[in-house]
This record gives sequence, C-alpha cells and structure tokens, in this order.
Amino acid sequence: MADLSWNPDDQFADDNLRKNFFGSLVLHITVAAAIAGLAYFHNRGHSWGENAATAGAIQATMVASLPLPPKQRELDTGVLTSENPSPAPLIAPLKTEPPPDPHEVALPEKVKPPKVAEKPTPAPPKHPQPTPPQPNKAVTGETAGIRIPQSTLELKNGTASAMVQDRTFGSRFAYYVNIVNRTVAQNWFTQEADPRASVGKSVTVLFDIDRAGTPSNPRIETRSGSPSLDQSALRAVQRVEGFGPLPAGDHITVEYTFHYTQP
Amino acid sequence: MKYRPARSLEKLLLRPAGLFLIAFALLTFSSVTLQAQDWFKTETSAGVSNIRLAVADFKPASVDPQTASLKQTFDSTLFNDLSSAGIFDIVSKSLLPQATPGAPGEINLAQWSAAPANAAMIAFGALGTSGGRLTVNGFLFDAKNTQFPQVLSKQYSEEANEEMARQVAHRFADEIIFRLGGGIPGIAETKIYYVKVGGGNKEIWAMDYDGANQHEITHLGTVSISPRVSPDNSRIAFSSLGKDGFQIRMYSLLLNRMVNFSSGGGGTNLSPAWSPNGRDIAFSSSRTGDPEIYIADSNGGSARRVTSFRGPDVSPVFNPKTGSQIAWISGRTHLPQLYIMDADGSAITRLTDGGYATSPSWSPNGQFLAFAWDRKYGPGAPGGQDIYVMEVATKRWIQVTHDIGRCDFPSWSPDGRHLVFANSPDGRASSTRIVSMLADGTGRRNLTGPGADMPNWSWK
Repeated sequence: MADLSWNPDDQFADDNLRKNFFGSLVLHITVAAAIAGLAYFHNRGHSWGENAATAGAIQATMVASLPLPPKQRELDTGVLTSENPSPAPLIAPLKTEPPPDPHEVALPEKVKPPKVAEKPTPAPPKHPQPTPPQPNKAVTGETAGIRIPQSTLELKNGTASAMVQDRTFGSRFAYYVNIVNRTVAQNWFTQEADPRASVGKSVTVLFDIDRAGTPSNPRIETRSGSPSLDQSALRAVQRVEGFGPLPAGDHITVEYTFHYTQP
Repeated sequence: MKYRPARSLEKLLLRPAGLFLIAFALLTFSSVTLQAQDWFKTETSAGVSNIRLAVADFKPASVDPQTASLKQTFDSTLFNDLSSAGIFDIVSKSLLPQATPGAPGEINLAQWSAAPANAAMIAFGALGTSGGRLTVNGFLFDAKNTQFPQVLSKQYSEEANEEMARQVAHRFADEIIFRLGGGIPGIAETKIYYVKVGGGNKEIWAMDYDGANQHEITHLGTVSISPRVSPDNSRIAFSSLGKDGFQIRMYSLLLNRMVNFSSGGGGTNLSPAWSPNGRDIAFSSSRTGDPEIYIADSNGGSARRVTSFRGPDVSPVFNPKTGSQIAWISGRTHLPQLYIMDADGSAITRLTDGGYATSPSWSPNGQFLAFAWDRKYGPGAPGGQDIYVMEVATKRWIQVTHDIGRCDFPSWSPDGRHLVFANSPDGRASSTRIVSMLADGTGRRNLTGPGADMPNWSWK
C-alpha cells in the first residue's frame, strides 16, 4: 500500500530531479534509435509488388459481390435535381401550309327533289255526317284510373274479396293481393256453410302474412251471424300453406271478406 | 243431386286440401246408403280460375346469326316450362298480339289485357348474343295494374349455346313459378334419373325434367335397376347385378365414378331409398332368407333390420317431410300390399285393402302416397296396373291413369304437382317409356321413347 501522505520535506530531502531527467532523456533516445534501426534493417531489399520469388498477394474484394441488398439505381429524370441538365428543346422552323387541293372540298351538287304523287284528298261527303256524341263531362286530364288495393273474385256461390290494410303495398303489389285472394278463394269450401243460415251474409276475416308468405293468426273481424259460415271462412285461411314470399316489407295484414250469395 | 266429378276431381288434386272433397265424392259414389243431398257439390270454389299468363316471344336484341336459333330454343323452352307448371292458364300463342316488346318501355299493356289475349300476367323480354355471350332480359308484368305493372325483372348472361339457352329459360320460368305459385320453387331445373334398356344391359341414365339432354351415367355393362338420387343430388344409389346377385351400389355424381357401399350380410339387396337428411338408406335385403327392410347409413355401415314378419318386405320409401315414417310393400298377407310404419318399425298400418300394390312414392309434403296398383289382380280378372294417389291420413285414394296400358314406378316431383312414371302401352316390357303428368292425371307428356324404365325425380 503506497503511502499517500504528502511530505514536502521528504520530497526536497533527496532532490535528484536533474539526474532523473537526464536518465529519461537517454532512455527515450535509445528507444527511438532502436525503432529507426529496426526499420532500416528489417525487410531491406524487397518492396511490395516486386517481382520476387516470395512476392506477397493482395486480394481485392469487389464491392458489388457483397451479399448486401442491391442498391437502387437512381433515375436521373429529375430535371431540377439532375446532375446532367437536359438539353433545351429544339425550336422547329415554322412551316407554311401547302395550299389546299382544289378538289379537296366537295361542292354540293344540285339535287332534283323527288317527285311525290299528290295524295288524293277524299271527296267531302255529300250528306252531312252525324256528329259523334260529345262527352258531357269535363276532361281534367288522362289518368290511369284509381287503384283500390282490393281484389274481388266472383265465385259461383259468393264473392271473395281481399284488402290489404297497408294501402301502399296494395297498390304497388296488386298482383300479390290477387294471389292471396285467389288462393284463399280456392280453399273456401262453401258447402261447409249451412246454406239456410248463410245466404246473403258476409264474414270478414283478418289474418297476417309474414315475410315468407305464411298466413298466421286468422281471426274474425265481423261475424256473419251464421256460425258455419264463420267457420268455413276461418278454415279457408287455415288450409293455405303459403302465398309465396312478400315482395316487400316484413308482414302485411289482410282483410278478407267472404260473401255467401246462393247455395 | 248436383254432382259434377269430371272437371273438379282432376283439378282438386293440385291443391292438397282438395283431396278431402275428392275422397268425399268417392265415398258418396260408392256408398250404398246414398242419400240425395241437394246442397252437395264437388266444386269447391267454382269460378276461381288459374292465373292467365301470356308468354310473348322474346325480342331479338342482336342480328347475330346465332341469335335466331337460340331464341327459338329459349322461346319454346320457356313456353313449355310455364304451360307444364300446372298453375297457369296459358294464353295460346295464336291469340297473342303481333308486337314483341323487348323492354318495359315498349309494351302496351292494354293490348295484352284486352281480348283476345285477356292476359293477367305477361312474360316478355329481349334476347341477344354478342361475343359468344348470351344476354337475356326477362320481365313479368301485371297487365291489370297500369300504375305499377312490374312484378319481376331478371337479367341473365351466359355462354351462348343451345344448352345455356335452355338453362336460362328454365331459370326464368322457375322465378315466375316461384313468384306466382305460392312460394313453391319450380321444377324446371330438376333432373330425372332412370333405367335405359339396351343390348341386354340396363344402365342408369339421366335427363332434364322435360326429357331433354338424355345422357348415360353408369357404364357397368350389367343390369342396374331402381336408381334413387340422394337429397343433395350428389350420389345415386341403385341395385346392380354382380357375381353375388343383386347388391346396392353407389355412384357419385360429383366424382363421376362408383363409390363404396357395402351393405354386407349377403343375400339379395334391392330398392334403396334415401332418408330426407341424406344420412340413412333403407333397402330390402334377403340375408336371412326372407326379404326384409333394413336401414343402413349412407355408406352401408351399421345396417339394422326394421321389419320382422314372415313374407317379403320390399320397396321402402321415407316420408320426405319428416323422415320418421316408411311406406313399403309387404307380402305378409299373400298379395303385395302398401303399408306404412314408423322408421323404428313400430305403428304398422296397412293402407290398401286388396289387389296388387307396388312401388310407392311419398309426396314431398308428406300428405300423399303414389303407387302402382292392380285392383283386380288374378286370373281372368279385368283391369290393369294403374297409378293411384292416396292421402295417408285418411286412406282415401283416386286413380290418376286410365286406359293407357300398364303403368308402374311413380315418382313425385319436388314441387308435389307432378308425377313421372313408366308406362307400357301394349304391356310389353320392351315398349316401356317414361311419362310425366300433373298429379291430377292431366297434362300427360312422353319424355322418352321405348326402352326407358324406373324413373326417379331428383329432390330439388
């Protein structure tokens, strides 16, 4: 363990600084002389690349063969950043147009108008013709008629009419209301109703049709007064398996009236 | 008594519920204690007619030389599909207006809804070919609704050839039938599998529902009978004569080759029948010496016996609606009769009361059984084998073929409105042909010439 305490008296006591300095100088000169001497004597007589029997070899590694991703070739198309400025466009000398060929533009020739035979005008009738009866109603414009969202079928012994409560649906998809009416009417067996009690009576049945076209929840809206007629109407709806998928909407409610006219 | 069976009997069967009345009429017919009932009528809802549909010739949309022949194919196919659908009153082509509208803007509804066409609905459109493509625009218009006439509009673009022209017509017809026929899909794209007799062999063939496009399926060089297509149209089960007698074999329509079906157990195995979920196959097997009904899974494994009575049990068919009932033919009381039972072999019910009943087919809604029946079977007895339809719940039946020779092997169409069957006008097996008709016996059409037998209508 070195003694780290500083004692000035101890330092000045053996003041051999001069002797140490010259010692160090001699040592450095000796080392420098040794290096210079070694360099002078070592490999003396041969140089790199010299045609000698024991010539050294140098391997040069091409940068391009390094297994590194290839460098993108820079496109020198940027006009402003390009190192070789693009040449200025050539200014073509002005050319004068050759004069047009005299036969280039076809001149219209005179065309004779085709002769058209005159149509014989029908001779005016000798006797005054009766005028067709004039409409005695004010004409307010052509209309396609008003669509009532209801479909009525005349049956052999009654009338069946279907009405959709959604009026937009009924007029837009009248064909569907027709199918509903036709299908239920085909399944209405009128002989289930007692003719003595049912003649001239009507029953109205409500039912829903879901998206797939299946009827559900048939209920009697207006009773006819003849229980057998009411029952036959309910059964007509219950017999139907489906009307086909609804063309629009989630469900519709149909009001169906059975009218029993004759046995 | 006002009794008018002629028209209504046939008409009624197209509506399932109508059979109640038909049967009622038949009961009245045969009843000895017939009482005059003044109010009784078989006409249920007289005056309700079918939808009157006009099918216009499509307008050629291009002057390609191919267009004319494709249009001819398309027009005739569409007309035939719609007229054989059984739910329309088709306007005769001679009553149609001269104009051929090709687009909604070109049609004059009043022209079609007025006499003589009197159409309630009009199917029309345009057909053109360009660059090898066939483009069809089809429309269905409600002639009576001038404000919103359009019911349906469809566009098809397919490769331009005769086959695709027929396919497009089938698809458009099916759309119309689906829309106007109560939501039951049309059958114009379905197939019929059948047995073709030729050169001592019988091979399984297939054709479209209208008899077109007949082509061979199997090339086994032996006798293959009773083809039954699976519910997903992927496989055909049939019985084929091999070195160990008749065995159930299976042909894959997806791989176009035979696939394995090992019914096992030996004996003669006949008449396979698919369950509606496609997982089970019922067949008759004589592995115990007596033909009995077995049910195996779809590749022949785990076969189990469901009938156990002395006497042959053959021709099983599943109830396609529920899959939980089997109708079959049993000879336990000497002559073959039609029976039904639950799929586990319980609740056996005999449906026919006599005669000689064969080859049942269960209607897709599960309500009816069609079968061939010779009601006066025996030596010297008059009568022939005809197709009958029976309502399962009530055992009431009607006869749907009359005086056209020997009829056998009925098969229901997937919409339940048609039947296909084998018919031999002179009773000889060689002249058997395949005939389709509406389920009420009307609209009969020959689909093939002689030499075709055992039709089976695909499930969809």
